Amino acid sequence: MIAAGIESLNFYGGSAFIDVHELCMYRGLDMPRFENLLMKEKTVALPYEDPVSFAVNAALPLVTQLSEAERSRIEMVITCTESGIDFGKSLSTYVHGLLGLKPNCRLFEIKQACYSGTAGLQMAINFILSGTSPGAKALVIATDISRFALADANAIEEWAYSEPTSGAGAVAVLVSDTPWLWRIDPGAYGNHAFEVMDTCRPGPDNEAGNADLSLMAYLDCCEHAYRDYARRVEAVDLRSSFDYLCFHTPFGGMVKGAHRQLMRKVVRATPSETEEDFNRRVSPGLSFGQRVGNTAGASVLLALAGTMETADFSQPRRIGMFSYGSGCCSEFFSGVADAGGQQRLHQMALGMALDQRYRLSMEEYEILLRGNEVIRFGTRDARFDHQIVPGAWPALVTGKRLVLDRVDAYHREYRWAE
Amino acid sequence: MDRNDVLAIIVEKIRIVEPALEGQAIGAEDSMAEIGVDSMSRQEVLILSMEALGLNLPMVQLFGPRNLGELADLLHVKLSG
Repeated sequence: MIAAGIESLNFYGGSAFIDVHELCMYRGLDMPRFENLLMKEKTVALPYEDPVSFAVNAALPLVTQLSEAERSRIEMVITCTESGIDFGKSLSTYVHGLLGLKPNCRLFEIKQACYSGTAGLQMAINFILSGTSPGAKALVIATDISRFALADANAIEEWAYSEPTSGAGAVAVLVSDTPWLWRIDPGAYGNHAFEVMDTCRPGPDNEAGNADLSLMAYLDCCEHAYRDYARRVEAVDLRSSFDYLCFHTPFGGMVKGAHRQLMRKVVRATPSETEEDFNRRVSPGLSFGQRVGNTAGASVLLALAGTMETADFSQPRRIGMFSYGSGCCSEFFSGVADAGGQQRLHQMALGMALDQRYRLSMEEYEILLRGNEVIRFGTRDARFDHQIVPGAWPALVTGKRLVLDRVDAYHREYRWAE
Repeated sequence: MDRNDVLAIIVEKIRIVEPALEGQAIGAEDSMAEIGVDSMSRQEVLILSMEALGLNLPMVQLFGPRNLGELADLLHVKLSG
């Protein structure tokens, strides 16, 4: 069987953020509870940033580092999102055009809440493994932003429980038969899915749901997706088969709870063993998520990036991955990465890009939260004030960044902030 | 085992998960959220209670009770079922 997996990965974590501790103080939230979230910062999308600009900003460095011949082999662009901007036209069409890719390409969008990134990744990997177009590459981009305070006057209050954790970000991965970064274990996966109304986005600018039910569904899925994986894969051992574990990360505290439950139920681990295991195998995966908040479809891939950025890869390491999307569907799968892959990831300087974001004051954040400058779903024509928060303008940092410029007859027009 | 025994087990597990509640009375009318048990710790209490009762149910089946009395009723029904 041919090898397949991730050739290269990049993350775009926006151009502005707020300090979550400051937000919780500002909102008067209970600080001990805040500490349990294991969150530090969250990315805030500016009015002239949308899921397309996030996706393109994540994917551009991957595409530009390819030769012309390699670029012409990108035969599939899958966008994975729960932040769609049109019921029919996929984000992929914009992304494909803005990246200047060849026309012989499959373009589509995948939705299944925060599971979307894994669904897209698995579609791409199975396209490569199928061998129907030898040497082809697929670009998969999970891109999500949260702007739920827009719906009406009550929305900010309703949104309060998830405000400190909901973030924005896009992870782009190039999937191919040269998986320099991360090679999938083909056929090694497990699923668990059932219908549940835990959290959802019933309208373009709002989120609804129940935090308890969502935690319950996540915990059920984590255990049973792993058990399905163990059913398919001979002699798997949760303790020894995986050097690192990456989880979909609504917030770090949830990952900690899911890991604790998995360790207790599957291998009867003691609390002290679980704590040590969390610090060693799981916490490296939280390093980027803690700085951007929940990136939904991208978050399990961001956990992979965080692990590969910070953990020890002096020997090849197997990484177990758990992905969950409300509604719900989940998957446990695995792959292998080595020092060469880690070196490639380090070249993307992901931490530095996060350091360059502009820190919003609470006053600036409140202006953005009111959303007067944000276009609603289905807006026909619009222009954007790129100086709404002057310090956050992406041109102030190094590199080429895409921003929304205007909307003409529903068509979103973008420009490069250089 | 009757419903009050189940309630006693739940309260015992709350005290293990949230030692800060020592000395505070916890009864059937209380909800975990209201007495200050955070969302992840609530799940922990449910997991420990199920273990103590020898139940192995999907977590989502424990969604719905508004207070500890209702939770005890639900778990008691699951035990008998």
